[in-house]
Amino acid sequence: MAAPVPPGAPRQQPPPPPNYNPNYQQNPSSLSDNLQNLNLNRPPSMPNSAPRPSPFQPPHFPSSAPSPSFSRPGPPPPGAFPRPSVPPSGSPPPALPPNVGTVRPTGPPFSQPSPFGSRPPPASLPSAGSGVVMGPSSGAPSFGSLAPRLGAHPSPIASSTTPSSVPPSVSSGGLVSNGPHAPPFHGGPRFPPSGAAPQPPLMGPPTAGAARVLPQAPSMRPLMGSSGISAQQRSPFSAAPQGAPSYSAPPQGMPSFSPPPQGMSPPAGFPFGQQTQTQPVAPPPIPGSAPPTMFGMPPPPPLPNQMTAISPVVGQTGGSLAGSSKIDPNQIPRPIPGSSVILHDTRQGNQANPPPPATSDYIARDTGNCSPRYMRCTINQVPCTVDLLTTSGMQLALLVQPLALPHPSEEPIQLVDFGESGPVRCSRCKGYINPFMKFIDQGRRFICNLCGFTDETPRDYHCNLGPDGRRRDADERPELCRGTVEFVATKEYMVRDPMPAVYFFLIDVSMNAIQTGATAAACSSINQVIADLPEGPRTMVGIATFDSTIHFYNLKRALQQPLMLIVPDIQDVYTPLQTDVIVPLSECRQHLELLLESIPTMFQNSRTAESAFGAAVKAVFLAMKSTGGKLLVFQSVLPSVGIGALSAREAEGRSNVSSGEKEAHKLLQPADKTLKEMAIEFAEYQVCVDVFITTQTYADIASISVIPKTTGGQVYYYYPFSALSDPAKLYNDLRWNVTRPQGFEAVMRVRCSQGIQVQQYYGNFCKRIPTDVDLPGIDCDKTIMVTLKHDDKLQDGSECAFQCALLYTTVYGQRRIRVTTLSLPCTNNLSNLFRMADLDTQFVCFLKQAANEIPSTPPLNVREQVTNFCINILLSYRKFCATVSSSGQLILPEALKLLPLYTLALVKSTGLRIDGRIDDRSFWITYVSSVSTPLAIPLVHPRMIALHDLDTKEGNESPIPPALPLSSEHVSDDGIYLLENGQEGLIYVGSSVDSKILHQLFGILSVDEIPTQFVLQQYENPLSKKLNDVINEIRRRRCSYLRLKLCKRGDQSGLSFFSYLIEDKVPTGGLSYVEFLVHVHRQIQMKMSS
Amino acid sequence: MEFLDLESQDGVRMPWNVLPGTKQEASNCVVPVSAIYTPIKHFANMPVLPYSPLRCRTCRSVLNPFSIVDFAAKIWICPFCFQRNHFPPHYASISDDNLPAELFPQYTTIEYETPAEKCSSSSVFMFVVDTCIIEEEMAFLKSALSQAIDLLPDNSLVGLITFGTLVHVHELGFGQIPKTYVFKGSKDVSKDQLLDQMGFFLKKPKPPTGVIAGARDGLSSESISRFLLPASECEFTLNSVLEELQKDPWPVPPDERAARCTGTALCVAASLLGACVPGSGARIMAFIGGPSTQGLGAIVSKNLSEPIRSHKDLDKDSAPLYHKAVKFYEGLAKQLVHQGHVLDLFACALDQVGVAELKVAVEKTGGLVVLAESFGHSVFKDSLRRIFQFDDYDLGLSSNGIFEINSSKDIKVQGIIGPCASLEKKGPLCSDTVIGQGNTSAWKMCGLDKATTLCIIFEIVKKDSPDASVQPSSNQFYFQFLTYYQHSSGQMRLRVTTLSRRWVAGPGSIQDLIAGFDQEAAAVAMARLVSFKMEIEAEFDPIRWLDKALIHICSQFGDYQKDSPSSFSLSPRLSIFPQFMFHLRRSQFVQVFNNSPDETAYFRIILNRENVANSVVMIQPSLISYSFHSGPEPALLDVAAIAADRILLLDSYFTVVIFHGATIAQWRKAGYHNQPEHQAFAQLLQAPRDDVDAIIKERFPVPRLVICDQHGSQARFLLAKLNPSATYNTDSPLPGGDILFTDDVSFEVFLDHLQRLAVQ
Repeated sequence: MAAPVPPGAPRQQPPPPPNYNPNYQQNPSSLSDNLQNLNLNRPPSMPNSAPRPSPFQPPHFPSSAPSPSFSRPGPPPPGAFPRPSVPPSGSPPPALPPNVGTVRPTGPPFSQPSPFGSRPPPASLPSAGSGVVMGPSSGAPSFGSLAPRLGAHPSPIASSTTPSSVPPSVSSGGLVSNGPHAPPFHGGPRFPPSGAAPQPPLMGPPTAGAARVLPQAPSMRPLMGSSGISAQQRSPFSAAPQGAPSYSAPPQGMPSFSPPPQGMSPPAGFPFGQQTQTQPVAPPPIPGSAPPTMFGMPPPPPLPNQMTAISPVVGQTGGSLAGSSKIDPNQIPRPIPGSSVILHDTRQGNQANPPPPATSDYIARDTGNCSPRYMRCTINQVPCTVDLLTTSGMQLALLVQPLALPHPSEEPIQLVDFGESGPVRCSRCKGYINPFMKFIDQGRRFICNLCGFTDETPRDYHCNLGPDGRRRDADERPELCRGTVEFVATKEYMVRDPMPAVYFFLIDVSMNAIQTGATAAACSSINQVIADLPEGPRTMVGIATFDSTIHFYNLKRALQQPLMLIVPDIQDVYTPLQTDVIVPLSECRQHLELLLESIPTMFQNSRTAESAFGAAVKAVFLAMKSTGGKLLVFQSVLPSVGIGALSAREAEGRSNVSSGEKEAHKLLQPADKTLKEMAIEFAEYQVCVDVFITTQTYADIASISVIPKTTGGQVYYYYPFSALSDPAKLYNDLRWNVTRPQGFEAVMRVRCSQGIQVQQYYGNFCKRIPTDVDLPGIDCDKTIMVTLKHDDKLQDGSECAFQCALLYTTVYGQRRIRVTTLSLPCTNNLSNLFRMADLDTQFVCFLKQAANEIPSTPPLNVREQVTNFCINILLSYRKFCATVSSSGQLILPEALKLLPLYTLALVKSTGLRIDGRIDDRSFWITYVSSVSTPLAIPLVHPRMIALHDLDTKEGNESPIPPALPLSSEHVSDDGIYLLENGQEGLIYVGSSVDSKILHQLFGILSVDEIPTQFVLQQYENPLSKKLNDVINEIRRRRCSYLRLKLCKRGDQSGLSFFSYLIEDKVPTGGLSYVEFLVHVHRQIQMKMSS
Repeated sequence: MEFLDLESQDGVRMPWNVLPGTKQEASNCVVPVSAIYTPIKHFANMPVLPYSPLRCRTCRSVLNPFSIVDFAAKIWICPFCFQRNHFPPHYASISDDNLPAELFPQYTTIEYETPAEKCSSSSVFMFVVDTCIIEEEMAFLKSALSQAIDLLPDNSLVGLITFGTLVHVHELGFGQIPKTYVFKGSKDVSKDQLLDQMGFFLKKPKPPTGVIAGARDGLSSESISRFLLPASECEFTLNSVLEELQKDPWPVPPDERAARCTGTALCVAASLLGACVPGSGARIMAFIGGPSTQGLGAIVSKNLSEPIRSHKDLDKDSAPLYHKAVKFYEGLAKQLVHQGHVLDLFACALDQVGVAELKVAVEKTGGLVVLAESFGHSVFKDSLRRIFQFDDYDLGLSSNGIFEINSSKDIKVQGIIGPCASLEKKGPLCSDTVIGQGNTSAWKMCGLDKATTLCIIFEIVKKDSPDASVQPSSNQFYFQFLTYYQHSSGQMRLRVTTLSRRWVAGPGSIQDLIAGFDQEAAAVAMARLVSFKMEIEAEFDPIRWLDKALIHICSQFGDYQKDSPSSFSLSPRLSIFPQFMFHLRRSQFVQVFNNSPDETAYFRIILNRENVANSVVMIQPSLISYSFHSGPEPALLDVAAIAADRILLLDSYFTVVIFHGATIAQWRKAGYHNQPEHQAFAQLLQAPRDDVDAIIKERFPVPRLVICDQHGSQARFLLAKLNPSATYNTDSPLPGGDILFTDDVSFEVFLDHLQRLAVQ
């Protein structure tokens, strides 16, 4: 099994080999059945709650024990606390490695909040304002943000704009996460006493656990550091100061942490802000020591500056800022990079544990819920009613990445074989057995957590229940204790034998392709990649080339040489051979190599400028029809002839400016339906198409991309193609494409508990029936967004489960079903929603929807929608959750404090820019449609790091230096900066950079010598080595081979670099970050007052 | 025989060598006035004149021995239009005793070869090969083809197309790897599309108007040489492609026929040649191993439960694809004729392959056709070899022929039955009645060889003239046949045959007509005519038509007292004619129901291109008997010829049978011929073999040789041809001991009836 592991090149992690294969055929029907069932909901049966109850009931869990202590302190929340506490101190610690322990801590805090939230609801919430408070006009805001975090007490802050008040208050609630804290506030008073003092005690228990953790904890935090995390971190701060916060804080082990040095570290989140640190606030923050814990920043080494500064900043800033009238750009919320690994248990104390930010580096331990890599929800608690959701302004959606690449340290997904009977499923909704199905009646029956139906337990699956009501074998059976498992599919799940792994390479050999070297690059990449294809008799390959005709190659072994078969009719194509154009790799390796070597020379003198892309793809499809498989197309020019020929409409659009302006977005739509219809047919026969566009001109990606999008494929774009610098990326992309974990002929369906249903799926797939998506190809990078809607009320305190089933065939021809289950608590409390909002998921969902809109809506409207989305959430928060009275403050929910920044980034992103090239925008849209959460964030909000001083920073855990704010203020003329978004890396070379550095890094002496085509080389000096290390590390982490480009001020390359600095004001009308915050604030004020 | 002498001078035989002088009399003669002409028959003594012919100013006929020359005035009078023409200056020295060769009386057939017109284009062969055949057949075919390729003249251009489900055009000129263009078998591709799709206009844009015709206008020789290469250059490539050639790889369901797109393949070949080498006399050689089942020209559906059409189906018009296919091949024929290209057909399969549909294209282009059961059969292998063999028996393949006729004004041409295509050159010469390729005075003969023989049907239009007094000079009809063709040497030649025949009219002319009657030629003309009518006329009853004709002739020319059958006698000039008709009625040309439509079509194609002697053999096979008692002697084609101690050699043209009498067979089986003391027996056995070898050497297509014994199963090949004078109904068995199991009437009965009817 392991063998398959064509482990992603980038990452060393092997994909779970055997495991991934689901079948699909039968599922569809079963799925649809389920839906119906779901609708039928049995109201009462909704047992979910039953089992779940546990969440609230600490008693169940022994571990909770510790928590109790907390709970007590906290009045109502007790229940809540227990859990949190439990995890941290509780069982987890022991069981898990130290790291893990830490992880849990974080988790708990959140959970706790919820409990609180429930009680004090509204009132508290507002106060909770845990959100960041921004002085609207007043600069304060920046601090505000901090404050909010501290938030717990936001109220205080808000009320007292004064810094002093802020800090304290902040510390308490804010940390916790706005929602929860809020309640505390109320309670606050009570707690207050506990306040600082109490904390220790309270914390104590947890701390104990935490204490050990501490060291590790830091690491964890750092990860958290990123947006989501930051929230937590802060909360700790607040907590620290105030008793109240303690709740949240406690779990996190704030206390423990704080004591340590961390104090300084706090802030991963702050880091950026920290710079402002000037603020003395530090002292108060000190309590902030908490912060340190939070961020785990302790690892100050990496980001020492940030860390330290931050903590102080937080508390103080909040206050001071509020007071001041201007926003300090250094204090406004920015992502906090984390550099160490977070350990994350998916459930703790039988309660869902909010996941770390998607962009952080974490190791998940599946303790019942699936790892957030596979599925994450925009809000980690499910609103009980649709009204509540609407009020929040947020949306409920899942991001599903069923084959996501696990962290190397994570336990592999377990494979379960139920033999001939197949996996146990609910007979009504066909939901798969999962840890949340409740066994009753001595285990003779079980209640489905999705539809509530009670089923007989299959006789040979029967097992008695233990005293805790769980099956005695629950811990031995992965399907009963893991959120993600893989089942071996039985015959029932197959309409035919699992397909072989078929790879067909289709290469453009038209004049342009040959002359730009694209053909040679493609051939050599393929030639190298052949070795990486899965071994075995079931791996088949085929190859074809095309210009104005299509050339197949008969690779049959008996032939002395491959035989070229030309299909010249590009209006009505066909395959020239049924069998021998796709042959087992083992039988044609030599032919293939020979052929690939000779293709570039064979067409050397070709004068054919035309390219019959559509016809070629169709013809190859016909050849692959009987098996299905992957079709990798290398296209270099605009398809100009044959089926699906396209016109250079971009140029037409340009020449006709008046209509072009109005209808510009139409160029982002496919030119016609031909390719779409073809694509649907491809999907039906399980052909997945990836297109590598190596071009120097307009290629109409909007039209071409329809095929990959519909067939579960992907578009790669190399513009302008450079024969010097792009072949390496092409090779790496291709290699990753074929070696990454992936599956074929897949069908996916998401099932939800009663009360919620799937509204729509977004991503690269084909949809033929409403309930399922067909994925001719699915791989670890593909993410599917699933929007959800209420069709009933949920019961507060119950849990709502989401189950994604992916039936697929592995590259080794095994049929598998990967079942991923996520069970989240339901809540009636709005502040809980804000507290449990998952910024990354939330934003990525919005990003994907926006991308989906762009082709059909004028860009201005989309921008407005984007901005309104942000405003509406903040408005809701402000209206219902924040107690702050001053209208002069912008209050941001802690969890969503980066939302304005991301929103601004989105507004300025490639896809929404009207000045961009049409193809760039189309590519962006296509890329976004399937991009995973961790890669979506950098796409919009790239990472910028300084390169010129790489060698002066030693000792970081991570070779990647801390990110800089995306503002030109942080770009100095004597520096060199790398800005990367997961796709390309722009290396900006300031105009007055020390020539020594230039020489060390690039082997040139002056900025003027910067080549337009750049290949990174390693020179014999430490700086160059560092640079290579950094780049390689980024590539590895992104699973993407950055396309590097050198930029300098004064030319196009420089402009494109600066266009990524989204915090800057753009002359053409784009707001700077600060201005945008002001704009948002004004809008909120207007709406509040209206 | 005088007629043979005439034939050996001019290559012409006419049923009536004395012509009925009026329309009325001609129609009484029943057998049409016609000429069976072999345009480029080989004559050892014929001079080839190295200059251009002299033509009449008005009718364009060529100066000939029948022209009246005024040496003093240096004027010649055209015998056809009586135009007076001045000799050009270079004929200044002409005089009574200084004649140019074309005026020599014995040179009524002569050739002109103008050096300036020497055409450099070499011969072109486009092989079109079926791959929907079993591996074994594939192996046979490959070996036959590679032999053929070895024999190709070095400078001839070669192209290769293979087909099955799809059509593969091999680009032999692409050096790096074997390369083929693949066309969908079920789709019709126009020539323009084809050129476009094969990249002919990549480097040189397609001319906006006009026809693409070879290197002359439109195509670079570079792009032509991608597909057509000199044999010497592509022999290796060609051989390696052939070696790798596989059976069509598309799976065939057990209840279906292979998907074979013969029509499309031929169409592609024609278009490719049309683009690359128009007007060059290229040959498409199609090797077909089964019925076409898809695309235009399909003759049967893929479904095996549907049988391939039979004569019965054709009669009942229940062959759904037949007419569509014929129409398609007519179109193809037109295209090929226009381009001057030949379609040769090698149909080797146990099944029918569609020769009946393809016939029109083969015949109009003057192509060769060979029908055999297998690519491994000697009929195919040896025939193919013959085509490329250049020795004494070389076929003399020529191309790009144009055949024209001039004649006296009282004669019109109804048409030609034979391998040619009308050029639709209308003129006063054209009759309103059209038989075969008519309504023209010029015909295209894309392919022709030494044996190609046309049957030209004339019509006498002269009205009865009460005026019996006829001037001697005007009782001659003149004919001139002009054949302009590309000799196998590559040179353009013009062969001119000028004939003169006397005509008679009025009472007493019957004896003259009888004296000029060539019964063999008449039989052959009747055979071509009856075959033609059977194909063309829907409700045609050939037996009735032949019988009526025969009876009419007998009553017209026989010598008898009315109503007295016993008094009936025929002049020796006519005496064998009834026998020919008897055998013609029984032949494969008329009795088609024993054969498949493909076989019938094949027989008729051959009949229509063969000369009189060979055609007569087809109608009435020759039988030679060998015995110890005498030397080889012709035997009566009658079951009575069978004897236990005889060896019979039957030559029915398509099949040659050596039939060992029962005793001979016993001796042979006992191995006596291997014993020195029975040398004579060995010689007896060998004699017919030697004769057969002689026949086979000269004949194309090579006949099928059957060696059989009396009472053996193969004996049917002989028995079927014999006059059933003794059948199971016969009371007195013949000494030979053989009887035929047939209800057919014997010749004697036939003759009795004939006499009875003739005298009524």
